[in-house]
Parts: sequence; C-alpha cells; structure tokens
Amino acid sequence: MAIPVKDDTKLVTVKIDDKEYQVPAGANLVDLAKWYADNDIPVFCYHPKLEPVGMCRMCLVELGSIMRDRETGDVVLDDNGEPTVRWFPKLQTACTQTASDGMVVRTNTEAVDETRENVLEFLLTSHPLDCPICDKGGECPLQNLTMEHGPQESRMIYSDKMHLQKHVPLGDLIFLDRERCIQCARCVRFQDELVGDAVLGFHERGRRLQIITSSDPGFDTYFSGNTTDICPVGALTTADFRFGARPWEMTEIPSISPWDAAGENISLSMRLDRDFGGRAMIKRVMPRQNEYVNELWISDKTRFGHHFTRSLDRLVEPMVSFGDKLTDQSWNDAYKAAVTALEGASGDVAAIAGGAISNEDLWELRQLVEGLGGSRLGAWPPTHGGADLVAEVGVGQDTNLKELGAGDAILVVASDLEEEVPIWRLRLKRAQDRGAYLVVANARPTRMEEFALDTQRNDKPVEGAAVRYAPGEAAAAISDLKSSNKDVYDRLADATNLVVVAGADGLDLDGNKALMQACANLLIETDHVGKANNGLMSPIPGPNGMGLHYLGYTPEVTQDIVANPPKVLIVAQAEPAEDDPTATEWLSKVDTVITLSLFPDRTTSYASIVLPIQSFAERDGTFVNGERRVQRFYTAQGPLGEAVPAWKILTTIREKLGQGRAKLSAAAVMLEITKNVDVFAEMRYKNLSQVTRQFPEIGGDDLYYGGTAYQNRGGLGIQIPSAADSGKVKAGKVASVKATKASKGELIALPITELYNRSNAFMPSGLVHARVAVPYVTLSSSDADDLGLVDGDLVEVSFEGGAVRVRATVGDVPAGVALLPQHLTDEPTPIVPTVVTLSKIAQPVLA
Amino acid sequence: MNLIKGFATTFKHVLEEPVTLQYPEQMKPFAERFKGRHHLRRYDNGLEKCIGCALCAAACPADAIWVEAAENSDEQRFSPGERYAKTYEINMLRCIFCGYCEDACPTQAIELGHEHQMSFTDRRDAIYTKTMLIDPVPEGADGTPREVEPGVFTRAIPDMPDAK
Repeated sequence: MAIPVKDDTKLVTVKIDDKEYQVPAGANLVDLAKWYADNDIPVFCYHPKLEPVGMCRMCLVELGSIMRDRETGDVVLDDNGEPTVRWFPKLQTACTQTASDGMVVRTNTEAVDETRENVLEFLLTSHPLDCPICDKGGECPLQNLTMEHGPQESRMIYSDKMHLQKHVPLGDLIFLDRERCIQCARCVRFQDELVGDAVLGFHERGRRLQIITSSDPGFDTYFSGNTTDICPVGALTTADFRFGARPWEMTEIPSISPWDAAGENISLSMRLDRDFGGRAMIKRVMPRQNEYVNELWISDKTRFGHHFTRSLDRLVEPMVSFGDKLTDQSWNDAYKAAVTALEGASGDVAAIAGGAISNEDLWELRQLVEGLGGSRLGAWPPTHGGADLVAEVGVGQDTNLKELGAGDAILVVASDLEEEVPIWRLRLKRAQDRGAYLVVANARPTRMEEFALDTQRNDKPVEGAAVRYAPGEAAAAISDLKSSNKDVYDRLADATNLVVVAGADGLDLDGNKALMQACANLLIETDHVGKANNGLMSPIPGPNGMGLHYLGYTPEVTQDIVANPPKVLIVAQAEPAEDDPTATEWLSKVDTVITLSLFPDRTTSYASIVLPIQSFAERDGTFVNGERRVQRFYTAQGPLGEAVPAWKILTTIREKLGQGRAKLSAAAVMLEITKNVDVFAEMRYKNLSQVTRQFPEIGGDDLYYGGTAYQNRGGLGIQIPSAADSGKVKAGKVASVKATKASKGELIALPITELYNRSNAFMPSGLVHARVAVPYVTLSSSDADDLGLVDGDLVEVSFEGGAVRVRATVGDVPAGVALLPQHLTDEPTPIVPTVVTLSKIAQPVLA
Repeated sequence: MNLIKGFATTFKHVLEEPVTLQYPEQMKPFAERFKGRHHLRRYDNGLEKCIGCALCAAACPADAIWVEAAENSDEQRFSPGERYAKTYEINMLRCIFCGYCEDACPTQAIELGHEHQMSFTDRRDAIYTKTMLIDPVPEGADGTPREVEPGVFTRAIPDMPDAK
C-alpha cells in the first residue's frame, strides 16, 4: 500500500472520469479513487486492510488504457488529437486493479450505474427487510448503498424470500443472522489474514452458503468483535450490545482502552438509560481510528470489558476506620482523616501507584508525597523494570508497526503478547505476513511462537524462528545470541528495521531488568535505535506503564517500600493484596494505608482511609502507551456515587495541607506537568487532541468502505521522543541474575498472564465469564509422573503466603517448572517465580 | 322602528336551538382522523405490536418519545419478533400531535386516538409510560410477557396479519 505517498514512491498518471491524477504506482484503484479523486466506488467485499477478492461485484467500473505504438512506444492519437483508449470489452472490478501508467477509468457511465443497480437488486432478493430492528440499521453499508445506487423498487415477491436461522450464536460474544449475510467473506478473511485464527469458514454452496465457526468454543479468538464492525450488513452483531440502542441515538466520546500498553483508541457510545437511573451509560465500545496505534481494531477485552465502570461493586463513598472497622464517611471527614494521618507521618510518606492511573493523578500524588518530605514513589506491579530503557532506546519517532515488512525483523522475548497486549500481537503478526522476520524467545510455548514457527500463511511463505531458553535465563539467551545462534543474530542485526518486545514472562524484576538491558544492548550494537520503526517496547501492565516511569515511579522503589514499610502509604489504583500473596504481610506493617480505589478488595481491608475514585470513563486524563505515545481520554459517563477523580482528591488534600490552591481541572494539572516535566513540554490537551487525515478514510459517509470503526475526533496523541532520538546512547552492563532454585519435591511456579481473568475490573463483564479459563497449573509430563498427576487432577499449590486449588494440566514446559496463571483464582498467586509444592487432592468418585 | 327591528332579531334567536355544548357533560363527535393521545396496539392474540425500533422517536420533531429496546425470549415474550420495547415513554407536554410517529411505525403499533383531555399538575405526570399507553389485552388472549412454545416466533419482524 502506497497511500499516503512517501518521498520515494513512484507516481503514475491515472485518468478517472476525465480528470488526471498523479497517484502512487501499484495502489489499489478503489483506494486511490477515494483518496485522490474523492470518488466513492461502492464496495461490499473489499476492505482497505484486507486482500482484494472481487467477490461482490459492486465495484465494477469501465476500465481502459491509453494505446501506445508497439514499436516506438508513442501514444497513439485519434483523429481529434486525443490519446486513443483501449477499453476492456466488459466492466472490471475496481478492487482488483492496481494503478499503472495510462490507466483510464470511468465510474459515471450508464453501464456502471445499471450494474450497480443490478448487483444491489440481486443482493436484496434474499436479504430480509428487518432494518427497523437490526443493530446495523442506520450505519449499514447495504442500506446506504441501496439508497444511493439501488433500484427504486423491487421486482421480487416479498413472501418468496429465503428464510434462514436468525439467531445463531457464533460463540458467546457474537450472533450470526444467516438471512442477512451477503457472503462477502470479510469476517472469514479478517480471521484468516489479519488475525491468523482461522476459526470462521463458509459452508455449503450457492444460496445456502453460510458462515460457520470451526472452533470449540465457537469463534475462539480475541478479536471477534472487529468482524461486527467490518460486516457490511447486520449479519454479525455482538451479544453485548444487541438491541442496546439505535446508532443515531448515541453520542460518541473518544477514549483510550484502560487495559494494556497498546493504548487502543476507542469510542464510547453513550446513551441515557432508565436502568442506570436515566443517566448516560456506555452502550458499546467501538474502535476509533489511529493508524499509529490500533488502526481500525480493538481486542475483545477492550470491547466487552467495559462493564466495571458501572458495576454495583464499585466503591461509591469514602470510608474511614476510627477503630477497627471501615465506615462510610462524608468527604469532609475523610479529607480530615487523611490530612491528620499525613501530617502525623513526619515525612515518612510513600506511594505505590498502579499502571491504570492517569498522568494527572501521578503528578498530584508525586507533589503531595514530595511536599510532605517523602521521596519514595513505587510502581505496581514490581515485575516490569525496563521502562527507563524504553525511554532511552524505545521505538523511534513516527514508528508505525504497520510499516514493518520485508527486510525488517521483530524479536519478542519473554512475553506472551496474545495474552498481554493483543493488538501488538495482531500488528506484529501482520508485519510477519508482509515479510518481516519474526523471532520469538521464551521459556515456554506461546501463541506468538506458533506464528514464528509457521512457514506458510495464506499461500505465502513466512519466515520466523523460535528460541527456547531455560527458565529465568532470558537475559543470557539474548546476550549470547551471537555465539549460540549466529544465524538468528545475523538476520536480526542485518535487518533494515528491528523492533524488540521484551516482557517479564517467567522472570522476576532483576531478571526482567537484565533482559531489558540485554535487548537494549542488542539494539544499540546493531544500530537499530533512534530511528522510526526501530527500538524497544515492553508490555508493562496497565495503560500507563510508561507514564509511571516518566513521572518518577519505579518498581525498585516498590521493593524498597516492601522491605522498609513507611508510616503512611498511599496506594493509588493498585491492588497489591489482590495480586501478591506476600503483600498482606508487608501491608500490615504500615501504620496507615490510604487507598484510592475503584473496588473494595483485599488491599482496602488493610487501609484506614479508603477514597473512591472515578474510572477512565467518568473523567478526563492522559495515558502514555508502550510506544510512548501520550493519548487523551474524555469524560463519557457521569460519576458513580460520591467517587471523585484521583487527581482531584489529591489536589484537595494538598490544599488542606497548605500546599497551594487546589486545581480545578485535569487540563490545569496537565498544564503544570508540561511546565515541570521536560518530556511533557508539548503535551497540552490542545495539542493532544489534534487530528490529521488518515488513510484509509472511514466513518461517516465512508462506512461502506472501512466498517463502523469511528473516525478519530479525539486526537492522535503525541509521541515522547526517546533519548536515542535526540542523541547517542551507550550500551550498559547486563547484571547477572540469581536464578530461583527449588529443592527436591518442589517446583518453580512461573506466573503467566491470561487476557480474560477474574480480576476485580474484569469480573463485572459477565458476558465474557464463559471464556475465563478454569484455574489451572501446567507442568511437564516428567514432573506430573513424579507427582502421580494426570490431566485434570485437582491439586493444591502451596507457596509462601498462601495456597490455591487448581486443575493440573500436562503441557510442553521444561521440567522443574509449573506455569501458574495470575488472577484466575480468588486468592492471589505469586507475581514472580516462586518455589511451590504441589499435592494431589483426592476427589470423590462420581457414581 | 329600528328599536322593533332590533328586538325582533333578539327574539328570533331566543327561539333558536343554542350552539353551546355543556362540555364536559356533552361532547362533539370527533372526525375519524383526529389525532389525540397515542395508543400502543396489540395483536388479536395479545402480543404487542411494538418492536422497539425507535423509528417513532427518530421521526418525532419534538423529541417527545423515549424508547429502550430489549430482546424477546420464548420464556419472556412481549412481541412476536426478536425485539420489544422495554421502555416506551411519551412526554405529552412536548408532543405536538403531528402523527409522524404513526407514519414512521413499521408495524402500525402506535396510533393516535381521540383522547384529548390531558391536563397535569406535575411535569412528571405528563410522561406517559408504556403501561399507560398500551391497549388492554383482548378478551380471551394472554397478556405479556408470556411463555410460548419454542420455534413459533422465529422472524425478526412478524409477518402476522394486522389485527384490524
């Protein structure tokens, strides 16, 4: 794809409806007619992000080329001195044509109009007329194109229409209406080409052709919701939104996904609802176009996981404990208690902040702690340590993962991207399809590794390699890549562009830091820093993992806080006691814990002051994503109960402590950040909300083309430059790592991430419950034999600080190691590799 | 002379039948197409005609109609199709009785009747809810919601013959 044009793109002359345009050679005719000539060639099966197939015949145009003399190469002129055009005898599908010099296209002739009318009449012969109740009605390409190009009346007999099933669940999240399907195969191709989960297919032939799912559970993918966006009719609809509202009734509010480091741009469709007290609530979450971040796609977690914002379990009143029990208090009394506690700490104040908190909150929290004489600011969870290196050698300015392709390389180390940051996994897999060399290094099998080992996809050869290292040896595996795996190293080093994604899968903080340094060294040695599409990324948990770093919160300090508990600890939007089984021990050593929380949880039970905060949907703010892009989200929903944005709580406490006037808006807090933190100098809200024209154009009148992903009106965000962008960086020393050792009879549990889990924020989204895995532990067959376990046995896993009962599964993992997913059980499980013992639990035999 | 003329006119009218109606005891008959207060209609079998499509709300020039839809199931069936109106409210203070809602309705569920005597002492009373708007269940038919045999109502919008 060569739109928009870059400096080195070859231009050719194409004539569309008697006007000449200079367009990039090889660009798709539908795309370029739209982009350059503002000529909307109608399509159903073509989508700018998918390979063209020419199935729906809606885009037929008259096509010809300017005749040239075979011998001289001169243009042949007719009697009037005009170039002679050799026309194709029949109409051609525009979506399968690419721009070449001398191409002539006519889209406004009678033949084209008639064909469009005929194609629509044909499609409507078996399409039901239930637009009034269809979720797509109002933003439906078939509806719109019928109004624009369709026949004025039908020659068919209404009662003679095909009747097929109308309510087929394709899995738990998506419903299929077989009658409405026009067999464009956009959904099938999206799953096959883009996602790589080939779970949809066509079944039967002719008029009975229908979509089926071949997986169990049905439609088993993390991206299923996107198929409802690109479906040009109402055949695929989500179970979440089903009949929630009509599209024209909703107000679209730009926002940012609150889940992971990708920072997917989303649009919250808001409407008043009687069941929510007549107030605006999120009816659905739609993707918002940002070609730098998520293009037109979002993961199902982002789409269906929004229910926590109005969960009845949310904290809605401040609580203070004056004896041993937390009781509801007014804000005034809660502020008074907080001020008294903070003043009494005589400077021994520390804070721990989670990755889902906004920059404004982090700034006010830092000012509060520093104003009281404290200095310790910790990031939660204390597992991902390389944020400083991402700031140093992170992906360069104007990086866009969709530009990676042939000649480039991608290295994914110690990360299960599918479960941690699904959008990165989608885009990096796409880069491999385009020819990038994908290397996946991990101690265990992951989905990304399957892609790396796959040699052919969609009839195209793809290249990749997998490196398996011993558990905990990630840093060494990368440092020694040159000697141990020269082929792979050379290909990474020689690649035009190299992107490295390094996480903390199966590592503790030291292991992760060493790995990040090793990866940074690799990038610096091979000169892949400081330029676009080169550098380091890390799936730090939460949407604002990099914001924590830029505003001075580090995991090392968290470790220090754990080792030396302060007098007063402020826990801001973090749930240490829910994540970490050892947290209860150190939390109880703190005199006063003040939490700013969304939910009552194990952490708040250790707190003496609990302050309810607003979720991302109720307030303004900014997040910094894993590519260091600062992005803004807007207020969509009204506040729940007495909840107040975290920055507002903190700025009010600061005023009461005599630290200056309280700020009145998030924008004012950001203004202060821009003046005090260098990297944020350009990040005023006004700048963050600027938008430029993006290819492909979608939304509004262009629904037929890009689907119902929304046009970006909230801002593309601004990327913070990495240190390497502005100057030289030096390789650092990779610290040696002490591996966790287990004695006989013990195993080392490696914590792993599951995208769908039982965390407090995800549980309120009941629809997705069925997809959350039964708690399990995976161990090698040799360990299973030693312990006398078989697949499906109930085992108790004991570790320091607790024990959980889970199902044992035997899988492809190294001996001596057990994979223990986090947040699947009610009780916390280890967040770093930990020594555990497994014991089988006898179960009653069912008669 | 003029005096006699004047009195003659007066006495003539005394004998004529008065045009004044003793409203509200007496009422003038309405034109068949008079547009008064709305009714939500039912089919003869008692199911609701409204499918909750909100086209009436979209057509309403006064923004007086509020519809929230939900999905029918065979255990809890309100209307023959897939969808029904969970909430249906008309704000009679806003309504201008133009009848666009009636025109927009794809199932002829909403019809403007002849009732016109609407006065309120509270703004909230002016909001007519679904229970106030919907017709009573026809004699001998079941009400809604009701449980039905699975597989009977499979169409998105019913092909049921109009009750009228």
